[in-house]
Amino acid sequence: MSDAPDTHGATAARYFIDESGLRALTAELLAAGTEVVAPVATDVCQSPSAIASSACLLPGVAPVDIDYKLLGDAAELDLSRGLPQLSLKQFFLPEHEALCRWHQRGIVTTIEEVPTSFAPRLVLAAKPCDAAALAVVDQVMNWDYQDELWNGRREATTVFNLACPVIDDSCFCTAVASAPDDTKGADGLLTPVEGGYLVEATTDKGRAFVEGHKARFTSVDGAPAAESRERQAADERAAARVRVAANLEIDPASVRDWIDTHFEDPLLATLAVRCNGCGACTSVCPTCHCFDIVDEEEGVGHGTRRRCWDTCQASTFTLHASGHNPRDDQHVRYRQRINHKYSIYPLKFGEVLCTGCGRCTRVCHAGQDIVEILAAIDVAARHPEPVDSGAEAVKP
Amino acid sequence: MNELREIAGKLLADGDVRVIIGWEHARRGARPVFITQPDEADKLIFDRRCVHNLATYLNPRRDQVSELGKIGLVIKGCDAKAVAGLLREAQMDRTDVVLIGVKCGGVLEENELPEALALTPDNVAPRCYGCDNREPTLVDFLVGESQPEPPRPIMTIDERVAALEGQPLEERWAFWTEQFSKCVRCYACRQVCPLCVCERCVVDKTQPQWIEASSHPRGNFSWNVTRAIHLAGRCVDCGECERFCPVGIPLTLVNRKLQHIVGERFGYKVSDDPESPAPIGDYRLDDQQEFIK
Repeated sequence: MSDAPDTHGATAARYFIDESGLRALTAELLAAGTEVVAPVATDVCQSPSAIASSACLLPGVAPVDIDYKLLGDAAELDLSRGLPQLSLKQFFLPEHEALCRWHQRGIVTTIEEVPTSFAPRLVLAAKPCDAAALAVVDQVMNWDYQDELWNGRREATTVFNLACPVIDDSCFCTAVASAPDDTKGADGLLTPVEGGYLVEATTDKGRAFVEGHKARFTSVDGAPAAESRERQAADERAAARVRVAANLEIDPASVRDWIDTHFEDPLLATLAVRCNGCGACTSVCPTCHCFDIVDEEEGVGHGTRRRCWDTCQASTFTLHASGHNPRDDQHVRYRQRINHKYSIYPLKFGEVLCTGCGRCTRVCHAGQDIVEILAAIDVAARHPEPVDSGAEAVKP
Repeated sequence: MNELREIAGKLLADGDVRVIIGWEHARRGARPVFITQPDEADKLIFDRRCVHNLATYLNPRRDQVSELGKIGLVIKGCDAKAVAGLLREAQMDRTDVVLIGVKCGGVLEENELPEALALTPDNVAPRCYGCDNREPTLVDFLVGESQPEPPRPIMTIDERVAALEGQPLEERWAFWTEQFSKCVRCYACRQVCPLCVCERCVVDKTQPQWIEASSHPRGNFSWNVTRAIHLAGRCVDCGECERFCPVGIPLTLVNRKLQHIVGERFGYKVSDDPESPAPIGDYRLDDQQEFIK
């Protein structure tokens, strides 16, 4: 799994597309009725929000929010490679969605099912960490039941990643078996090269997509600029991998086993003193997939059953009807988050429930830092004795 | 800083408190720190990155903090107003906490910075402008030198509120529709709020369900309006709700507007005097009541 980014390139079908070609392709897809999801940069000062944004008074500064959105126009496609605020999961597990609708008349209740098949959709320029999360979450969505809504959207969607230059020092995809040029969970990868993008289709779906829009792509094999483009792409991707690897290096297997056997260890049991239990980390997380199911009455005798994102960081998440709460303080709730991601899920499904996007750390202004926490657990797991005790002893 | 560390170390060594809650410098900048050993008091810092309102940790329902024992809390003037709010609403006794006040010349908008930048109109926390409590009085100790006034931000919160109010209804509706549509209902705003201390939040109630949990426009408007109104006359303007919002909803604008309304109708301004009653817990014969029909 961890070596996939190094090997997939050799077997993938490879093409080139220039930027205007990519935008023309996007326009063509939209015109044909295909939904396209991609990063969109919103200039805050051009939106209704500008009315009260002081940042819009600053000369030379254009505050921009990047979000994955359904494109209305090909020109909206943002290829700047910044990090969208929320991950891609909202397009597979929406913040809220109807599961069914009910109508009650007298003693007769009728249930209206929701469709579980979806129109074809392309995700363009996905972050590799966000796409990898889809493959990780596929496992639990097909474990003790088949989640028809998740699977329906997965089947209808083709995902092309855009190789990531690494956002900042809170990125750690390479520490959790992913990479800034990973294609896990995706059907292909775009890497910026001079004049455009090197395109690799890594799955049948990806290859079929390129075949279906052949006119827009140039085959790389035998093309005059091929070699230099290939080299440029390889260099760019290797450099990004080195950059992100410097942020955090852990042994996920040691971390997994240590957590499994150290449930009451103070390192795990007192992690969360500064944590506000707000759940922002789980909202922005590409792999957190827990949901709550609620019935919303929309009038007398009819309503909608919905599922909504939920968070293990809220005390109500585990509150029993009896009033008992097995996870009754924030330390225990935070340990659950760490345990689930780095031990329970890997033990059950063989994959870490984290792709190293770092969003949890960035949104936490209280300073819960997953990079720091994983580094500490890794030290406990691999170097249980203090490594600098010798150095202390020889100090003059 | 030495004064702060000395006081903190002594309080711990003498057993007057079991934990000092202040700020430290960490990998990504300043963040809250919980010190239980006197020799760790040197970790404490106070500079312009110490944005957090640590009074939120006084909430008696934060089991992971209250189980540590008596708290010594480092507070800025704005944070002191939140402590006063908790005292006013009988969430704690004054003797439950030792308050170490710091003289403050304003803070940055962001705490995640490698160093404490000098304050400028574009990096200062807008709420610091016109602050009336830069040297808190609700304290057991007051440390540091007197600080100059913070700079005026490029646009003050009042100016932003006024800009919004100057718009026609449809524009304001478009503004808040856009803002609230971003809400993912994580409730970070509630969790971090020092005054959101309810045993069970109305939004978590399911029998009946007063506020829909879904993040559709109906649910999001219900939640955000309810949150704001429950803080009317209680909000201390610390801005933590807005700062912790993962999708950047400008909650400060709602909070400030409500402060204006409470000020105009009840002549109330939030302070760090716990004896000054807030309108929500006070009844006067001349209270305006024309809205009761």
